[in-house]
Amino acid sequence: MRKIIPFAIAAAFALGACASGGGSSEANKGDASSAITAAEHEKKRAKGKGYEWRDTGKIIKKAKKAMKAGDYDKAVKLANKAKRQSTNALAQYEQQKNAGPNY
Amino acid sequence: MKKLVITTVIALMGLAPAMTMASPQEDLKKFRSYYFKKFPGVKLQRYADGIYGINEGRRIEWEAMEEFPPYEPGVEIGKELFEKYNIGKCFKNGGIGIRQNYPWFNKKTGKVHTLEGDIMSCLKKNGVDTKKAKIGFKKGKMAAISAYMGYTSRGKKLNVVVPNDERALKIYNRGKRHFYAKRGQLNMSCADCHMYYAGMMARGNVLSPALGHVTGFPVYRKKWEFKGGGNPALAGFGTIQRRYGGCNKQVRAKPFKAQKAEYTALEYFHTYMSNGIKVNAPSIRQ
Repeated sequence: MRKIIPFAIAAAFALGACASGGGSSEANKGDASSAITAAEHEKKRAKGKGYEWRDTGKIIKKAKKAMKAGDYDKAVKLANKAKRQSTNALAQYEQQKNAGPNY
Repeated sequence: MKKLVITTVIALMGLAPAMTMASPQEDLKKFRSYYFKKFPGVKLQRYADGIYGINEGRRIEWEAMEEFPPYEPGVEIGKELFEKYNIGKCFKNGGIGIRQNYPWFNKKTGKVHTLEGDIMSCLKKNGVDTKKAKIGFKKGKMAAISAYMGYTSRGKKLNVVVPNDERALKIYNRGKRHFYAKRGQLNMSCADCHMYYAGMMARGNVLSPALGHVTGFPVYRKKWEFKGGGNPALAGFGTIQRRYGGCNKQVRAKPFKAQKAEYTALEYFHTYMSNGIKVNAPSIRQ
């Protein structure tokens, strides 16, 4: 029993480290940087149509902050979210450009 | 058969612009009849009171607030600023009782003028350093001056003109499109809240009808008053374009800048829809 407890604790730590990623990242700085560039480009397109969403810029800012802190996975995730928002905003523009009354 | 298909396509193509390009007069008629059906028994002039015109419970609350109007000190400040900066000399009739004609289309320039836009031009013409004097477009001193000018126009019916001029119609239709187009992450339009769901609740607030909206602007809004900032007497004041920005933010769309083309077009359409309703600026709003 005495032998099992330290083993279980060690296993739990190891599992925890695996779950959190242990500080290691699958994405690298280049991935994060290109994801942010793509998000910014899409945001610019949405802005050009007057259809930018409120939080897209804030999400890109957070992505940049994560990249600066070396959390490239988080940066890529946020940048992709921002890009998706702008893609949806552009689709919304296309759908609504001839909007009129519904009565 | 081929001929029939071609004829049908051409007929449909011809019909599409006709549906979207209704004249402002036709729009006004349909816009108004929509509300009359939605709120039977509510007379046109009642729409000047916003939600207090359609909700009796809230009206009692509003009438109590109107006994000691919180906007009065701000209107006084607006009058002082109006005189200090000699604003009257830039306007017809010395700037008194003219609010009902705004926004107006300038045939010479092909542009639409808003009251706040003309006040700003006047300040600059009179040599006022607006940055130093901290006068912007949406609130504070600008809203106070505009509120005073609105106050002198109380009881006068809105009389916005959309002439049969391609340039004016283009601006009008831009504003109309903004009003009906869904935007932002919540995918909602001005019309969703203020036409189709008008009178219903959004959290603790009753959604106001768009008809008559503009008559009370600049408004004295309780929410802005609590937010504070600057002179406490002016904290509650905001122009219609300040409100547009707030509405766009609420549907999670990035707002446009005040007094730029998009909101000016919206104000032009929005105000035209309320033609014939009496000005009651500044009004208290929730």
